[in-house]
Amino acid sequence: MTRFEKGRHHERHDPHWVEWLTGILSAILVIGMLGWIGWETVTREATPPDLAVRVLTTERTTAGYRVAFDIYNTATTTAAAVTVVGRLAEGGRVIEENHVIFDYVAAESKSAGALLFENDPAGRALDIRPAGYTEP
Amino acid sequence: MTDRAAGAADAENHVGRFLTGLGRGVAGALFLALPMLMTMEMWYLGFYITRERLLLLLVVNIPLLILLSHRIGFEETFTWRESVRDATIAYGIGILTSLLVLAALGLLRGDMPASELLGKVALQSVPASIGAMLGRSQLGRGMSEDDDGTETPYHSELLLMATGALFVSLNIAPTEETMVLAYKMTAWHALAVIVLSILVMHGFVYAVSFIGGHELQPETPWWHAFVRFTLPGYVVALAVSVFTLWVFESFGNSSAVEMLHSVIVLGFPASLGASAARLIL
Repeated sequence: MTRFEKGRHHERHDPHWVEWLTGILSAILVIGMLGWIGWETVTREATPPDLAVRVLTTERTTAGYRVAFDIYNTATTTAAAVTVVGRLAEGGRVIEENHVIFDYVAAESKSAGALLFENDPAGRALDIRPAGYTEP
Repeated sequence: MTDRAAGAADAENHVGRFLTGLGRGVAGALFLALPMLMTMEMWYLGFYITRERLLLLLVVNIPLLILLSHRIGFEETFTWRESVRDATIAYGIGILTSLLVLAALGLLRGDMPASELLGKVALQSVPASIGAMLGRSQLGRGMSEDDDGTETPYHSELLLMATGALFVSLNIAPTEETMVLAYKMTAWHALAVIVLSILVMHGFVYAVSFIGGHELQPETPWWHAFVRFTLPGYVVALAVSVFTLWVFESFGNSSAVEMLHSVIVLGFPASLGASAARLIL
């Protein structure tokens, strides 16, 4: 409990036990968080972004085809402006090429996106791969 | 006869004071919410924010406004009933001010879908309503001698900190910078930010002699206040940070460590907001 007097607040000397309980629980939480982060400083080595694409589904849309995919970053560093290029090839010749840019793919995380094609990827060779990134 | 004249004069005076309160509310809403009204991410959030999360934010705002109103409302509020009325007025001012400013800035157009218009105004009405409520305390008479002797129960103290933290978080959480900082920082930086947040929080309220600052009785050791107020305050600030980041969908599919980093980044301004609330309110 806090008392307001002469423009100042005065903390009571004899607080209710709930104040102590809340304080101790908070202390445990903060120490736990410090412990977690402290553990990270020791165990987590900085590795450059390691990006991989996994194609999920191909669906027909009004104007063509949508290929949905997830992009994974297994490293402990975040990649920014990640460009993903998708090539559709038929008989060794690229017939369609599209790309998409992810603002960020966070460390040890995934992001979802999709590429749109005019031609049906079914029966053709589809290659979707990360093409580059910058440091955030 | 004189009684009736006095009554009429009193009523007029009452209306006058009420209108001044409304004016201060609009001024407060403008003054404190304008940074958010002019932030690009907040306009975009208006249409892509999940409706369930927006609704939750709008609902959570109600008890905070009522508590604020009980402390500082447009007029002296003595009963919770009056506080609810004043909180409603503040929310109304928040909605109208947001609508007016967004429309004036050309961000609301007739060809936009209704849900986008609604989302933009509703999102902005939360900080604007808090601003409207604070308008009185900041622009009006503020704390005075007749507040002497008021006691703040512990849970109210924590809720006031949550309100301060929420207000500052709403300013910063939607910006891309929160996430970029989290991506850039290493675990060492995160540790430094945690320590800095807690030190600044404690220092603001106890060490630096602001008006409205807190004092301990001479026989109370310093760590009593640290455990009872500063640490719970920091946890409240972190919890509010988690809430706002979740509402604004900033977490995405990030890993737990990245999420924790962004919570710590936002926790810094949020903890400052929480301690400022303890000083001002």
